[in-house]
Amino acid sequence: MNFRAMKTLIQRELREHRALLWAPTITAAVIILTAMLSTTISGGFDLDIDVESGGREFLVDVAHRQALFAVWMGALVLPQMLVAMIVIFFYLLDALYTERKDRSILFWKSMPVSDIETVASKLLTALLVVPLAVWVLSMLTGLVVFFVAGIKLAGTTLDPLTEFHAVTWLGLQLTTLQNTLVAALWYAPLACYLLLISVYAKRSPFLWAVLPPLLLVIFENAAFNTGKVASFLIERLTAFFREVSIGPSTGDSAGGSASLYADVARAYDQLGTLDMLARADLWLGVAAAALLFWLAARLRRWRDDA
Amino acid sequence: MSSVIRARAVRKSYGKGRVALDGIDFDIAPGRIVGLMGPNGAGKTTALKAILGLTPYDGELSVLGRNPQLERNALMQDVCFIADVAVLPKWMRVEHALEFVAGVHPRFDRERAEAVLAKTTIKRNSRIGQLSKGMITQLHLALIMAIDAKLLVLDEPTLGLDLLSRRAFYEALLNDYFDHERTILVTTHQVEEVENLLTDVLLIRDGRIVLDATVDSLATRYAQVTVPRDRAAEAMALGPFFSREVFGLSVFIYDIAKGAAPTIEQLSALGELRTPSIADLFVALLQPADTAPGSAV
Repeated sequence: MNFRAMKTLIQRELREHRALLWAPTITAAVIILTAMLSTTISGGFDLDIDVESGGREFLVDVAHRQALFAVWMGALVLPQMLVAMIVIFFYLLDALYTERKDRSILFWKSMPVSDIETVASKLLTALLVVPLAVWVLSMLTGLVVFFVAGIKLAGTTLDPLTEFHAVTWLGLQLTTLQNTLVAALWYAPLACYLLLISVYAKRSPFLWAVLPPLLLVIFENAAFNTGKVASFLIERLTAFFREVSIGPSTGDSAGGSASLYADVARAYDQLGTLDMLARADLWLGVAAAALLFWLAARLRRWRDDA
Repeated sequence: MSSVIRARAVRKSYGKGRVALDGIDFDIAPGRIVGLMGPNGAGKTTALKAILGLTPYDGELSVLGRNPQLERNALMQDVCFIADVAVLPKWMRVEHALEFVAGVHPRFDRERAEAVLAKTTIKRNSRIGQLSKGMITQLHLALIMAIDAKLLVLDEPTLGLDLLSRRAFYEALLNDYFDHERTILVTTHQVEEVENLLTDVLLIRDGRIVLDATVDSLATRYAQVTVPRDRAAEAMALGPFFSREVFGLSVFIYDIAKGAAPTIEQLSALGELRTPSIADLFVALLQPADTAPGSAV
């Protein structure tokens, strides 16, 4: 596969679907704006540190502060990632559908580009290019939010929180990069499924993508009174986010700095998702993705309705 | 191997019953401008799609020595293709279209495309959707002209264009593109428009080739006589395969290459004799079977 051609193909995807980069950028802007306007330090993400009732550990203990710093910065990635995923979902449904609808497929196919390359360019855009762009963007967003918070907290009792932990920060960026790659593997079968729907649907690819699984869930529930399909789908959709869940644990009402620290420590431990690579269903998913990808490329090759 | 396109018993049917190509055979030599013409639904576009490897077919088809079903990507380096005007993506900017083709096509000469575009009023930063149909055609042609291809396939390239744009399109094609080494295959049903351009004609009806001839050979194969109505019976007796009435005159077309055909002398004695135009032959050969003379006249 020719690198220059692939770069050109991906560039064209980003030009056609400008929301892929705009939506995360606007989200970043909103996060920064919230950080500027809000009274909490973390910028929308509420870490309520009550110094009077013993939150002092965060101020005196550097390990506590590092953990808090990492969780805080790490949490800023999530909204951008979530927005990007929604945009990517609609992008994948559109990617091989609109070209048939507006017949531009006849132009794309008049170029010496194989269907495998074309479909691969769309998959790479969805699973790597946009997520990596969001990674870089989240890095910048984090730094700006940190800077804004630093100005606000300087001179207050929370002043120690404005310390920048360079090593922790670098480590966090590497962890986020790992997470981006793990997410790409975990969601690859979903992405390829959407591409297949996109190349298959004669109209309304959204309904084609969503209704059949939904009907299957309803049917299974009605016929067997079980929910295997539903739990399979929910697991596939949410497992990654459960792995990176950051935030106060549920059901812990004790409050106070001890439980807050426990939350932060737990979240800090969970920032990485590399352990997902040990899951068999991740690799089964990758194999399913390969099959769906091949089907999508093949269907595009021989589909003849433009 | 000297043929640019070689088709043997190429067949294609859509589902049950509807046969789009009913086993066609033809050869196209290099340096020709071939018109593949026929009424709507005759199988023109299906034939082109088979040649371009866009649709599966049965039979044997070789394009520039390659099998379009198996070697489509390699083939598209040497084949250019315009499927009517509306297929350039509307969201794309002109400069990005140039950049795109430059990025994916190894035989694209961007400077040449820029030079062709410089002669037009198309702005580099316009979106294609903002251009007029005529301008989009000019842009597509500029892209195609800058690709060093051996075969250019045009499917109704001027559909929906006004007369000026249609003229300009074919003039540019003939003057700036065609160099007697390249081959052009064009489908259209605006026969008059390409009549003077073509070196070869392929007429197709109901998925079959009805006529496969060079334009030069038409004069020795077909003759058209226009006679006053009172001599129509005499003309009819000589066995035309087509007749029609125009302004009180009767027009007959004969296949003079057949064994029992009338001689030129016989025909010129009847009235005004000439070689039928491609448009005349199109009408004569492609009319529905039940109105052909013999059954209806």
